[in-house]
Amino acid sequence: MDKQRDFVLRTIEERSVKFVRLWFTDVAGTLKSVAIAPAEIEGAFAEGIGFDGSAIEGLARTYEADMLACPDPSTFQILPWRGEIDPTARMFCDIQTPDGQPAAADPRNVLRRALAKASDMGFSFYIHPEIEFYLLKSSSIGPEGPIPVDKAGYFDNVPGGTAHDFRRRAVSMLEQLGISVEFSHHEGGPGQNEIDLRYADALTMADNIMTFRTVIKEVAIEQGVYATFMPKPFTEHPGSGMHTHMSLFQGDTNAFFEPGGEYHLSKTAKHFIAGLLHHAPEITAVTNQYVNSYKRLWGGGEAPSFVCWGHNNRSALIRVPLYKPNKGQSSRIEYRAIDSAANPYLAYALILSAGLKGIENEYELPAETEDNVWSLTDSERRAMGIQPLPQSLDHAIRKLEESELAAETLGEEVFSYVLANKRREWSEYRSQVTPFELKQNLETL
Amino acid sequence: MADARSFGLSELARLGFVELEATIKKLDQLVAVVGDSGRSALDPLSRSASPDQALNALLDLAEIDKTAIKKLLKSADSAERLILCLGASSALVDFLRRHPEALNVLDKSEAKLPGVVDLKKTFIETAIDAAKPDFQSDRVWSSIRYRYRKELLRLAAFDLTQGNPESGMHVVAAHLADLASAALEAGLQAARVELTTTSDHGVYNATEVADTRLAVIAMGKCGARELNYISDVDVIFVAESANDRTESSRALEIATRLATRMMRAMDGNASEPALWQVDPNLRPEGKSGALVRTLDSHLAYYDRWAQNWEFQALLKARVIAGDEQLGEEYCAKTQALVWSSAGRDGFVESAQKMRERVMEFIPNEEVDRQIKLGPGGLRDIEFTVQLLQLVHGRTDSSVQVRDTLSAIAALRDAGYIGREDAATFDRDYRFLRLLEHRIQLSAMRRTHLMPTSESALRAIARQVGLKNADELTSRWEAVKAEVRSLHQQVFYRPLLSAVARLDNSDLSLSSEQAEDRLRAIGFLDAKSAMTHIQALTSGLSRRAAIQRSLLPVLIQWFGEGSEPDVALLAFRRLSEDLGESPWFLRMLRDSSGAANRLTTVLSLSRLATSLLEKIPEAAAWLEHSGDVQPRSSNEISSEMASILERHEDLDKTASALKHIRRRETLRLAMGAVLGDLSLQQIEIGLTAITECYLAAFIELVSSSKESGVSSRPVSELLEFAAIAMGRFGGEELGFGSDADLMFVYRANAASNDEAQKVAEKIISELKRLSADPVLEFEIDIDLRPEGKNGAVARSLDSYRQYYERWANTWESQALLRARPVAGAKALCTDFEELIDKYRYPQLLDASAIIQIRRIKARVETERLPQGADARRHLKLGRGSLSDVEWLVQLMQLQHGHEHPPIRTPKTLEALSACVAEGLIAEHDARVLKEAWLLASRVRSASVLWANKRTDVLPNDRRQLDGIARILEYPAGSASALEQDYLAFTRRSRGVFERLFYGQTESE
Repeated sequence: MDKQRDFVLRTIEERSVKFVRLWFTDVAGTLKSVAIAPAEIEGAFAEGIGFDGSAIEGLARTYEADMLACPDPSTFQILPWRGEIDPTARMFCDIQTPDGQPAAADPRNVLRRALAKASDMGFSFYIHPEIEFYLLKSSSIGPEGPIPVDKAGYFDNVPGGTAHDFRRRAVSMLEQLGISVEFSHHEGGPGQNEIDLRYADALTMADNIMTFRTVIKEVAIEQGVYATFMPKPFTEHPGSGMHTHMSLFQGDTNAFFEPGGEYHLSKTAKHFIAGLLHHAPEITAVTNQYVNSYKRLWGGGEAPSFVCWGHNNRSALIRVPLYKPNKGQSSRIEYRAIDSAANPYLAYALILSAGLKGIENEYELPAETEDNVWSLTDSERRAMGIQPLPQSLDHAIRKLEESELAAETLGEEVFSYVLANKRREWSEYRSQVTPFELKQNLETL
Repeated sequence: MADARSFGLSELARLGFVELEATIKKLDQLVAVVGDSGRSALDPLSRSASPDQALNALLDLAEIDKTAIKKLLKSADSAERLILCLGASSALVDFLRRHPEALNVLDKSEAKLPGVVDLKKTFIETAIDAAKPDFQSDRVWSSIRYRYRKELLRLAAFDLTQGNPESGMHVVAAHLADLASAALEAGLQAARVELTTTSDHGVYNATEVADTRLAVIAMGKCGARELNYISDVDVIFVAESANDRTESSRALEIATRLATRMMRAMDGNASEPALWQVDPNLRPEGKSGALVRTLDSHLAYYDRWAQNWEFQALLKARVIAGDEQLGEEYCAKTQALVWSSAGRDGFVESAQKMRERVMEFIPNEEVDRQIKLGPGGLRDIEFTVQLLQLVHGRTDSSVQVRDTLSAIAALRDAGYIGREDAATFDRDYRFLRLLEHRIQLSAMRRTHLMPTSESALRAIARQVGLKNADELTSRWEAVKAEVRSLHQQVFYRPLLSAVARLDNSDLSLSSEQAEDRLRAIGFLDAKSAMTHIQALTSGLSRRAAIQRSLLPVLIQWFGEGSEPDVALLAFRRLSEDLGESPWFLRMLRDSSGAANRLTTVLSLSRLATSLLEKIPEAAAWLEHSGDVQPRSSNEISSEMASILERHEDLDKTASALKHIRRRETLRLAMGAVLGDLSLQQIEIGLTAITECYLAAFIELVSSSKESGVSSRPVSELLEFAAIAMGRFGGEELGFGSDADLMFVYRANAASNDEAQKVAEKIISELKRLSADPVLEFEIDIDLRPEGKNGAVARSLDSYRQYYERWANTWESQALLRARPVAGAKALCTDFEELIDKYRYPQLLDASAIIQIRRIKARVETERLPQGADARRHLKLGRGSLSDVEWLVQLMQLQHGHEHPPIRTPKTLEALSACVAEGLIAEHDARVLKEAWLLASRVRSASVLWANKRTDVLPNDRRQLDGIARILEYPAGSASALEQDYLAFTRRSRGVFERLFYGQTESE
């Protein structure tokens, strides 16, 4: 620990850092930031920085408003977009109650707890997400909806295009922040881009995703455009998902790999997939947390609307990617429901717990689905035992309400906060009169 | 000396031989090989640990080097040295077989062992010589190890020929530490040569290596110069560059290499076997930290991140090899930190936890054989001594010493341990260490386990002046028992000396010193605690004398409880009430469980404590757990009946009845806190007490002329009965529950108006007389017809008319839990018959069901206090008591007519009956039951804890922790209880919503 703290203190001095931002995430997945002066850092390491937790959504009950933000020195980074004038750094924080206990409602702590459970079973959890987002001309909405920066499509190379420069700048900034990028390209929708982060352990990755969103927003501002992680900004174009590849490791070996097995999948992998499939509907309110998320899930195309798995099946909820010979260490599965607007800490905690449950109880893996499930009829799907994911936030909330897995993983506090918060969103949404209704009904009725 | 043959076999056995026949032959053989001097071997053989082993070894060695053995046997002195070594240690025998040339070590007697400076010199010379002409690690390392073992042989000879090995134990231990430093010093020199002359471990030039200052700091036993014959040597490395010529980072790199190679010189592979492990894991950050750090880096670590135990470890730090100046600087600077660390919060607590954890790791079958870690072992002595050093060393530098024996002496001289205790400590420590030395010496294995075989035990016994295995075992057991009680004696007992004169004690702590100790064990207000201790122990009375002997252990237990200050004060009050009663202190003194149970009650329950202050004699129940079992309703009511029969005046009788209620409630409270009673026992017990109490008062009021209820005997005028409602009706009373009641009468020889007046008068007198300011008793009659606006009593006819005409569903629902508890039998029966029609209707129509659901829905929002968190409300909250009860009651209203088994006022009984009748699924019922039970238990426990009724799960961590302890969670379970409660009630709410409101599509 202290090496890292020493490193932080030294770097602050050497680089003349003027401010350090302490970052943490609220239950909804919004990044919160407190800036402190370098002189306060030592104190922050020793005792944490006090703040009023009740002012942060879902973090604290009103009677225990005092909370401490305790910076994690291993997350220290200088923020590149601040430039050399008044250099600013950031660290992620764990939130503690005044008596030094981890705060029940700190999403980072929720994920830590889930990872600890995995570690008790001998596993570490590695993930790599493919994060999609749209680049728009601005945040204002035109008569036809948001206005994308270009009209290109999948893998298109747009000469002199904004997106290209944008990605180059964003990738370089991410690398400066110690976040390795695997891949980046133009996605299917106009202005839609995808950047894939190189795999890391889940906690680091969740931190990285929070940083990623900030970087993308900052670069967009720098380049005079606007970036959005909204799950489905356009009716007619694909939504922005965050397909996540994941694997469990036992020590240095990939626990998902078994030579000779079907798709080289181990028993552990099969149980993990079975667990995730089994519990997928009840965790959807967290992996796809907005009303808008369900417009993506049910918007057709390749959206994973049905609970099934397949090998190279682009419509399946869980895909087992093509095995590359002699790459046992890279055996993994891809969960395709989660979208770019999820709170990564909570979402990954739940995904991991669902999979572990499958391993613990040795759930049986249902048969693989080879068809494009979208092309099947309802009765066919029923005959094959393929369940749909929740069709709306409301539906997802109901599934979540009944989930012991979610209550246990999130802890009772976060669990009831998430439910209350989502119910409120749903009821606000439902009470609206939408342009759709006006267009359909006003003139005819 | 006579010929060996002249000895009888029994004579040989007496001398300690076991293989008798063979011995005679071997003795002959010895004489044959070495000549006459072989005869003189018999005397030392008879004094050696294992004469058989010694004789065998002697023969072997004589075969290898006849001359050397002959020479040694010639003189009685050297013969003794040789033979005692051979008899005590098979490892030394092996060494001499390998290196017979080492036998010459035994030639001369060692009046004094060589000092560390000389040792280092010879060791270094050995290493440097071996490194010529070129550096071969095998040769260099083996030479160091050989030198070490030769010195060890010299030491063993010295040790084994000491007149009194216990009193010389510390000299041996210190010398063992010196040997280790000499070996490490030589290893370090060798590493410097290795790094400059070879390139196997990187290319370093001689200047750089010379510029690298490296100090080896020993921790633990080596640091304190109290090392065992064989033990890991704990070390920490500090390094700097000597000048600007070599960069600091380069110096650190070289130092790391030097340190690694030095350690390998001790424990790496070479032809002469390894000496011992060098363990560098006490360094900052343990295994994951850098092996070598600069002084500043060490200090920064200790300054900011170190844990308490790391300071405890620093207590023994000492420079043993390498750059002495640098090492001294390290020690000087870290010592300051050690002594301020005891001021940290929870210091003693975490030290104690460490101790407990160590105990947990001992495998069960080894606990009784552990000399070091078992109960009454060396670790117990070391722990107590270090604890005292840390508590008092902050303000008194005279106790800042490293090794255990000096610490005991220093603590004694400074007046923190009494002379006698110090002497016992010293004696026991030496004895246990001597056992450890002898066991380890035998095979040079790092063990702290007493051997099991008879012969091994006998060999040890012979070396500590005892005859056989039995004597050894009983002496050891006695020492263990003594050590176990010493912690008490030494840490807690002197607390009293600050305020009271202790018998047989030369020791007196100042009050500041005593307060330091109290604070260290968790008292917040140490000053007041001292006042209480003073009050309890001063004076010449027998009470004070007994309390002086009791308090040390009580204080320890209070310290482990959740509120030491409160509990001590309560004990003082109790003792002031009871101190003159001879049984009280005798019981605490003589009954082992009683004192412990008393501290539990005082620490966990303010309710029980406050009642105990009123009824101090109840402390007698602590002796037998049978005394805190609830008494039956018959026993209570007959005791009350005999009071009523005495016909004393009204107030006297009333207060006698109150006393019984308080006493029986206290009994249940104590049983509950001590974990002797289940929730159901408590509920039934409290219900029985309340029933008897009510019945007695109704009887008193109706029969006593004084009460002025009527000039004529009440029984002639009317029949009168009390009907229990709510939880009282269901026999589910908790501590602090109100008694929900309705009253019914039937006029006999009186007009209706007259009877109504009499009934009302009975009730008001009943309320007045039964009220108890000490243990609140409240009659709640709000469930009667028309609620607050209704008459307080009604005739049976009036009830009939009312229910026929007006009764609405919620009243029928309330009647489900109606249960006559006192008064005229016939009237009770008639009343039950009357209400059955309403509470178990043939048909509950749909509108009635809807009405119940609506009322419930409204109650949920309206009755909950402003701002309360519904999830934490024990009664009206989400999934808690009222949810479960309403659901059960709805079932009873709907199905009670058709399914008689579910007709019962008891919630859980009704619930199981519903399962049996197929009305509720078993799984659902289990979820409901768990939540209902937990909510009831928490409610009951929170009254026990705070002596205040609360309907909300507390937020305060300390309060939650106390409640959790009563519910038999381990200490520190506030969050666990909270999680359990929220999860149980959430699940129960799910079941409730489904079964009570029915499946609905939207909320």
